[in-house]
Amino acid sequence: MTASTLAAGTATPSRWPGLLRRHSAMPLVIAAALLGTYLWVRSSRLDDIEQRSLNATTLLRLLRQHLELTAVTTVVVVVLAVGAGILLTRPALRWLAPGATALANIGQATPAIGLLVLLSIWLGIGFTTALIGLIAYAVLPVLQNTIVGINQVDRSLVQAGKGIGMSPLAVLVRVELPLALPVIMAGIRTALVLAVGVATLAAFINVGGLGELIVTGIKLQRASVLVTGAVLTAALALALDWLGGLISDLLRPRGVA
Amino acid sequence: MTDDVMISLENVSKRYRGQKAPAVENVSMTIRRGEIVVLVGPSGCGKTTTMKMINRLIEPSSGRICVDGADVTSLDGTELRRRIGYVIQQGGLFPHMSVATNVGMVPKMLGWSRRRIDERVDELLHLVGLEPGQYRNRLPRQLSGGQQQRVGVARALAADPPVMLMDEPFGATDPLTRDRLQNEFLRLQEKLQKTIVFVTHDFDEAIKMGTRIAVLGERSRIRQFDTPERLLAEPADKTVGQFIGAGAALKQLNLRRVDAVEWNEAELMHRDESPTAVLRRLDESGAWAVLTVDSERRPLRWVGPRDLEPGQTSLDGVGIPVAVVEPRATLQDALDAMLGAGCGASVVVDDDGRYRGVLDIESLMRAIRDMREVERDRDRGMAEAPPRLPRQSDGSRDSASVRTLESR
Ligand SMILES: Nc1ncnc2c1ncn2[C@@H]1O[C@H](COP(=O)(O)OP(=O)(O)O)[C@@H](O)[C@H]1O
Ligand SMILES: [Mg+2]
Repeated sequence: MTASTLAAGTATPSRWPGLLRRHSAMPLVIAAALLGTYLWVRSSRLDDIEQRSLNATTLLRLLRQHLELTAVTTVVVVVLAVGAGILLTRPALRWLAPGATALANIGQATPAIGLLVLLSIWLGIGFTTALIGLIAYAVLPVLQNTIVGINQVDRSLVQAGKGIGMSPLAVLVRVELPLALPVIMAGIRTALVLAVGVATLAAFINVGGLGELIVTGIKLQRASVLVTGAVLTAALALALDWLGGLISDLLRPRGVA
Repeated sequence: MTDDVMISLENVSKRYRGQKAPAVENVSMTIRRGEIVVLVGPSGCGKTTTMKMINRLIEPSSGRICVDGADVTSLDGTELRRRIGYVIQQGGLFPHMSVATNVGMVPKMLGWSRRRIDERVDELLHLVGLEPGQYRNRLPRQLSGGQQQRVGVARALAADPPVMLMDEPFGATDPLTRDRLQNEFLRLQEKLQKTIVFVTHDFDEAIKMGTRIAVLGERSRIRQFDTPERLLAEPADKTVGQFIGAGAALKQLNLRRVDAVEWNEAELMHRDESPTAVLRRLDESGAWAVLTVDSERRPLRWVGPRDLEPGQTSLDGVGIPVAVVEPRATLQDALDAMLGAGCGASVVVDDDGRYRGVLDIESLMRAIRDMREVERDRDRGMAEAPPRLPRQSDGSRDSASVRTLESR
């Protein structure tokens, strides 16, 4: 058979070597940055104020708060935006898509701090307020990428699926979503990074998180606190983006570039 | 409605939203059980739209379509489509699913057991000439274009639907592969006896595949609906004639199959025989060459007296490689094979590649002469009638230039 020259055997090569190659650099970079900061803080003499912020208990609490806020935001955004994106790509609702993205764009285009302040005037300060602000801010990339990701799936494949007798739901679940997954995942990663960054602003409305270090650092002019807060936030954003990339690659269906 | 009608269209029209002119206007036709009806016409004339209304991928604006006696609008679209095979250009295979998953998709939707699906997939891959063990787990992109197309056909056949819709199924493959796919498909159809609606813009393909051909004009208007023979012999009007193009006689080579003309016998000799034995045989028989075969009687090479040098001990690599055709191939294929091999004869082989006979250029010429007689009689008969077969006025255009309308 001439075909045997086209692809050797039936086994597809393992994906692990490629994954390792693409994803091994980032953890090292993050570890190096954290270690460098730690050694620097360690080597300098800390005054009372600094010690109050830069201790394991406080740092872990802030990190936990930050992660909580980010995680809840991401889960809600994924459910809302992917769901809305799917609905907005159905033939009956497709005409609504431009309006919906424009609406989501308002959340994104408003300065994040302004959005939080406005929301807290309206809803009072607290976790829920911060959460709503973050969701409004992070919803656009996921919504947009879901719509784009589904719409870029070859129409002839959707027609083929329908044509051979797959139900609309089956076409969505087995054809459209798997083929749109890389693009949707890219949107989720963007949202994750945005959420980590914007969550620092939650400190301004008393919700805690790593932003508290930055706020303290600026207000009390303690560079070590400020830098620690900034580095931890950046490291967290990079780490989550890295995780998102890894998951995206693991979920990517075979045969999709 | 008679029993042997499988699909009927009655005054079907389709106007797309926002368009002034309908894409399909008032089309009526009936398609009988077990025949291949080809819809052929220039690009954009509404072939695809007409076809998609049959399985309700597109809803007609007006008119009635019945499949197997039931009005399609009375059925659930998805249910309907599971009973109608659907093949599109390049197979439309899902790139992220293995060949087996692609082929087993409809049975899975129908709730078949895992084991039954697996068995069916293997059976179908066999049927379309792909070794299941080798291809089952491949991804579509690990297949050649022709193989993808075959998987597409296998997928359409999965739930054994009585009706198949094929939209330019072999359009994306190179001419050689297309020929092979066409022949294979015709062989398959002999066994399966499906009712098939086949869309193409290639008139030669229409002639080759069609039991009957509907030549469509603007808005899918049927200009002529006839057997290939009658279409070539009596084009209904100028437009149809233009569509058939020049060289109708040559195109009729597409109508005759290799098994419909007389074959000759070759002098067969096993590849291990000695050159001296070959010379002796050539002498005795007066043949221009002998045909070497392997132990399975599969033809290898033509060996003539001039191919043999004195003192030669074996027949290895001596002579010219043979051109082979299958009995189902058209005379056009046979002629192509001869021209390709630079040899005035094609060897007819069975499914397993074993020798059946020889079709030489003389038999082919005889067949062409017969067909030309028919054409001349027809031209004489039509001398006074106005609709004559028009010739291309532009001298630079030869018959090849009208092979495919869409590419011009
Ligand atoms: N979904 C659609 N919406 C609007 N117009 C369409 C659509 N599909 C096809 N058409 C138009 O209808 C006409 C017939 O198209 P089609 O049936 O695809 O022709 P063919 O298959 O013969 O090339 C063309 O003019 C085409 O532009
Ligand atoms: Mg078409």
